[in-house]
Amino acid sequence: MTNFLSLKFAGPAGMGIKSAGQLFSRALIAHGFSVHDYNEYPSLVRGGHNTYQVSFSSQKIFSPHYSVDYFFSLAGGHWQEHLKEFSGDTLVFGDENFNRPPSPAKFISLPIKQIIDSVGNSLVVNTVCLGVIAFLLELDTDIFTDLLSSQYGKLAEVNLNAFHRAYDYAKNNYSPHIRHLSGKKLRSPQILVDGNEAFGWGFLKGGGDFYAAYPMTPATGALHFLAEKQKDHSIIVLHPEDELAVANIGAGAAVAGRRVAVGTSGGGFVLMDETISFCGIAEIGMVYYLVSRPGPATGLPTWTSQGDLLHAVHAGHGEFPKVVLAPGNQEESFAFGQLAINLAVRLQTPVVVVSDKFLAESSASLPNLSRHKTVVNQGKREISPKPGYRRYRLDVPDGISPYTIPGQSDGEFLSNSYEHDEFGFATEDSVVAASMNEKRFKKNATARRLVPQDLLFGPKGASKLIVSWGSPSGPILEMLNRRPLPEYNFLQVRTLWPVSARLPKIIGRYRQIIVVENNQTGQLSALLKSQFSFAPHRQINKFDGRPYYPEELYHLITGQK
Amino acid sequence: MASTFRSPVLPTWCPGCNNYLVLAGLEKAFQSQKLSPSQVAIAYDIGCAGNMADFIKCYGVHTLHGRSIPVAMGLKIANPKLTVVVVGGDGGIYGEGLNHLVSAVRMDIDITVLVSNNYLYSLTTGQTSPTSPKGAKTKSTPLGTASLPIDGVSLVKSINPKVLAKSVDCQSPPSVIAAIEEGIKHPGFALLDISQFCLAFGKQLVG
Ligand SMILES: Cc1ncc(C[n+]2csc(CCOP(=O)(O)OP(=O)(O)O)c2C)c(N)n1
Ligand code: SF4
Ligand SMILES: [Mg+2]
Repeated sequence: MTNFLSLKFAGPAGMGIKSAGQLFSRALIAHGFSVHDYNEYPSLVRGGHNTYQVSFSSQKIFSPHYSVDYFFSLAGGHWQEHLKEFSGDTLVFGDENFNRPPSPAKFISLPIKQIIDSVGNSLVVNTVCLGVIAFLLELDTDIFTDLLSSQYGKLAEVNLNAFHRAYDYAKNNYSPHIRHLSGKKLRSPQILVDGNEAFGWGFLKGGGDFYAAYPMTPATGALHFLAEKQKDHSIIVLHPEDELAVANIGAGAAVAGRRVAVGTSGGGFVLMDETISFCGIAEIGMVYYLVSRPGPATGLPTWTSQGDLLHAVHAGHGEFPKVVLAPGNQEESFAFGQLAINLAVRLQTPVVVVSDKFLAESSASLPNLSRHKTVVNQGKREISPKPGYRRYRLDVPDGISPYTIPGQSDGEFLSNSYEHDEFGFATEDSVVAASMNEKRFKKNATARRLVPQDLLFGPKGASKLIVSWGSPSGPILEMLNRRPLPEYNFLQVRTLWPVSARLPKIIGRYRQIIVVENNQTGQLSALLKSQFSFAPHRQINKFDGRPYYPEELYHLITGQK
Repeated sequence: MASTFRSPVLPTWCPGCNNYLVLAGLEKAFQSQKLSPSQVAIAYDIGCAGNMADFIKCYGVHTLHGRSIPVAMGLKIANPKLTVVVVGGDGGIYGEGLNHLVSAVRMDIDITVLVSNNYLYSLTTGQTSPTSPKGAKTKSTPLGTASLPIDGVSLVKSINPKVLAKSVDCQSPPSVIAAIEEGIKHPGFALLDISQFCLAFGKQLVG
């Protein structure tokens, strides 16, 4: 008996596909299910083909599935490009006379037009679908009533009307298709958050109080989320004229004592590159949130990719310490958002958090992040500087010199993009230049003690190791959870830089190594090869803008269906 | 007179460079405003003008070329109590970083931008800049420049007439000193275009 199900809404942009999908997910969460959502959309505002998929289970679910159990075509024909996702158990609904499509799925004509005409509003197609699925899964209609009422304000009544009419229609016509999920429901209350919102919450809960970004999909969600939070949190959020300004306003604010993050995707990150280097030499701690999409250049704006790993690790000209973190799920997007700002302030150097479209714009059920406790580490702050204060003092074993912020008397210094002496004044002295570089590089060793450990999953005694990083972790864990493969373990690399010194030992224990990445060239492998003797036996890559699915990975890894 | 704003580093400008006057004007303005070094934050551009970074003692950021204005904006937005000044050249402010000047003017943010306008890129040994006259023969344009020059003051005035924007000439030192003080006092965005002749490379423009 199945213990997870998947539903997909599909249709042109502008029909409320995402809002229906999210409402459905929230209803499932209210019933105690674990959900994982995934949406696909072209870079268009109206029309095209959009989908919103909700995979849910009574046990924790780590990623969406490829297979779909319920498919709703909100306008004619939107099921056509999804035939491969259907099985004999799939129910496909649409307001059309399906003419024996080439698929084992059950195609069911749903009189959407008739129902919306009876309600007198053409905008409620999405809510009609909710009424049908609520019946088919025997969900609590009160929960839907509450959610629809709070979501639709003035339009609540027509939506409730549409929901109930569709529910009744389903009750009269679809009773044989009722299905239950097996297993035990989750107890603790959860909320629905995507990776961008989770990062935003994490940043706030790390004391983040200054965020700047220039809109760029798929990082824009974090900008919108944090901009809203200005209403009830003491954070300043700016949308400046370009990414050069974003990064440099951020750097100025960080020098002045703010806890700063900036967000962008690959193209904007390139424009921030020189400032990352500046932060390196001037020892300005700030967070760069990089949400990747497929490049090169404008690439595929609304799709996913892990093509920027090496770019992130090598960002900034010259040599300086840096931390690059890669959350593998929404929970870690939160945790690393919180950690990154604390690390940046403590290490006084740039910290890059690498996410991607799949992770940042997909939602999952998580414990309520707003109730999470705030963790603020001010690092080595010099509270009462004396005359002669040396901002970049060299006699610090951990490489971290105590900092002051403008306004503190006797704490004056020059934050300098030129190589400088202990006060910040420019110097071309060979001894000072070498000493400053050495001092800064001591922060790499300090960083190693503070960064997240890489994670190893799976049973003892396995001989094969799957190695990955970032968002594929979800589908990999989902695969291992649904269809146990006792000979496999999974290593999730969470800190991309500095590479953990423990990795060679961990990896050396396995007979076979398979690296899974959502890019073409195997950038994690390239990175690890640059650090120690690393010779993976297989490299699995995907670079078509789509994420991995657990079913697909099972096939790619085991060769079996 | 020893200034509390004077750093231990001796200026490295060419003897007689007009940037000494800008430095003196800034110190004088800070003192007349009774500011202490800890209340002032200066964002310096890269260039001869920006090299003032080492000669002043206060909170300073010697930024990247063209990025002095956004850094200054970050400093000011982060802590509005600070007196925030930008020191840069015509290349950095009107060329590499022009978009930032426009944004700062639109916001009318309370920073004072001093442009040492010597009509050249001097630190890089004398190439054409956005203010070089049309046809200027410089090291990078031996056949003469093709472009018209930018007039910073009328540009910013056309964007936001409320800001303080003034053109002064180092040939009249008192006017430069007075304008810097006026700029620091002005409760909003101020641009001072400080016209000056580069002793090392300026001859290209008159020759
Ligand atoms: C990104 C970048 N490009 C180029 C340079 C080289 N550079 C240094 S100063 C400068 C021009 C300076 O001209 P200006 O701003 O007018 O200052 P001046 O030296 O004339 O006072 C240039 C191009 C640099 N430092 N950074
Ligand atoms: S080169 Fe010109 S601008 Fe630079 S210090 Fe000498 S005189 Fe001044
Ligand atoms: Mg110049």
